Amino acid sequence: MNAAGAPPTIAVRNVVKRFGGIPALNGITLAIPRGQVYGLLGPNGAGKTTLIRAIVGLLRVDEGEVEVLGRHMPDRGILSNIGYMTQAAALYGDLTAEENVRFFASLYGRGDVAEVLQFVDLFERRGSVTATLSGGMRTRLSLACALVHRPELLLLDEPTVGVDPQLRAQLWDGLRRMAADGTTILISSHVMDEAERTDRLGLILAGRLLAEGSADELRALANTDRLEEAFLTLASADR
Amino acid sequence: MNPRRTLAITRRLFAQFRHDRRTLAILFVVPIVILGLFAALFRADAAAPALGVIQLDSGELGPAVARQLDASDLVEARSTTEAEASADLEAGELAGYVVLPKDFSASAMAGRVAPEITVEGTSQQDAVVVQQAVQRAMAAGIRELIAAQAPPGAPALPEIDPKITYRYGGGDLDGLDLLGGPFMGMMVFFLVYVVTSVSFLRERSLGTLERLMATPLRRTEIAVGYMLGFGVVAVVQAAEILAFGLLVLNLYNAGDVALLFGIQVLLALAAVNLGIFLSTFARNEFQAVQFIPLIVAPQVLLSGLIVPVSSEPDWLQVISNALPLTYAVDALREVMLKGADLAWGSIRLDVAVIAAFCIAAIVAAAATLRREVA
Repeated sequence: MNAAGAPPTIAVRNVVKRFGGIPALNGITLAIPRGQVYGLLGPNGAGKTTLIRAIVGLLRVDEGEVEVLGRHMPDRGILSNIGYMTQAAALYGDLTAEENVRFFASLYGRGDVAEVLQFVDLFERRGSVTATLSGGMRTRLSLACALVHRPELLLLDEPTVGVDPQLRAQLWDGLRRMAADGTTILISSHVMDEAERTDRLGLILAGRLLAEGSADELRALANTDRLEEAFLTLASADR
Repeated sequence: MNPRRTLAITRRLFAQFRHDRRTLAILFVVPIVILGLFAALFRADAAAPALGVIQLDSGELGPAVARQLDASDLVEARSTTEAEASADLEAGELAGYVVLPKDFSASAMAGRVAPEITVEGTSQQDAVVVQQAVQRAMAAGIRELIAAQAPPGAPALPEIDPKITYRYGGGDLDGLDLLGGPFMGMMVFFLVYVVTSVSFLRERSLGTLERLMATPLRRTEIAVGYMLGFGVVAVVQAAEILAFGLLVLNLYNAGDVALLFGIQVLLALAAVNLGIFLSTFARNEFQAVQFIPLIVAPQVLLSGLIVPVSSEPDWLQVISNALPLTYAVDALREVMLKGADLAWGSIRLDVAVIAAFCIAAIVAAAATLRREVA
């Protein structure tokens, strides 16, 4: 997918980040080419959110470097090309769904509010006050806020928590279409079946990248036909 | 600074206000209710304290003093016995009683006027009024007797009649006039502070600030956007409070209303910035509320509203002079009561200090936002 010679959308090199002396990221290196859907798989506390925050530039790494779209992070100038969906549905509960999306669109100065509300299947509920929406609806609204400005890079931290299977499939179809149009997507999850839908997976544990590859490659590597088992095998092999 | 992004923050705050009636009520109804209560307390004509008079004097001075007390506006005098007066005092029906003893006149002739006054003791104001009333009644009683006994043609005892000129205020200022102006300023300051700090804290605790930091927004755009949004609300609130104070409560005002308004607005902007700044140090709304006594109590006590700064102990004056509200209280009082304007050095100092505080708070607020990127 990657044109030869073109720089990767995300390049993370030997990144170390410590919180109070304890490493949350312990020498992570990865490269994600344009248009790829990359899944970051690992248990809670493995360092997924820390890695995503380092990529957005919300924290300064202690060692190594992060480059996004060819720019050394943190770099405010590149943020208009990034969409970031935080783990908790960080929204303004007293605003309507539409007002939330409109606010984020106005920060970027672009975006089709109605279209993105349709994309997450919330157009009918656009006038509802966000606090009255269900958990799954808020998650979808949060996703809408992250992609209203059509970013080149989409960072999604556990985006499908609380979203029912049917809608989850629908959202994945949408994400795959965006990827086909050239959007690079980094998605973190601790749900294994989600991992099947990505182009490439990174298994992350205790701040280190244990293994990388497509779901099939990882299964072959661990000599098993279940991804969950592959994860456990690779994790214990590391110790 | 990008105006579109800054105004996006401001517009979002307006949309939130539209949906949040409770916050609007706190900002626009609460100050009127509190000011109204405040006015009722300080403007009510206090009832004259009740004074029991026990006239036992066999001479002429006692009855004369008792007559004068009866005629006094200061107290509600009533004739009674000592046992009854003592019981009534305990029952709270009398503020005090005065005994004019059997030898009152005789003692007076010997050079000693000695009424026996008992006051209830828990109200300093009542005690002062009672003493004042008795003293005046005695002076008048003595004059009355001397005039009656003086041989014809003798010079009358001179009447004490000082002429008092009020440099400011015209002499009929009441407690509300004296406290009302500074009180209006405090109300604006604290309500705006509370609402801003809680609102900004929600931005932090609900994770939306993290999200904003991942957009092209600059930190100063967030701080200025907030200052504009709450600033507009604060301006409307200041206008409402000022209108209520001047038009409904009829507070005495010798100064320029535009200057008063300007001082209130400056104070409100300082409160917005202080709210953003201090919200950094709280993790949740409960903790933000815990800051309120810390911010409110010292300023109410030390700003000169209750006790003039100049009569505080030296070490407290140092603290008072470091609090922004001290300058606001002084400015509002000088403008309203003395008609001070910007030609006065003291007003220029006050306004400069509040403005400097306002700028320091917004710089501090923007600086604390920066710390988010560790």
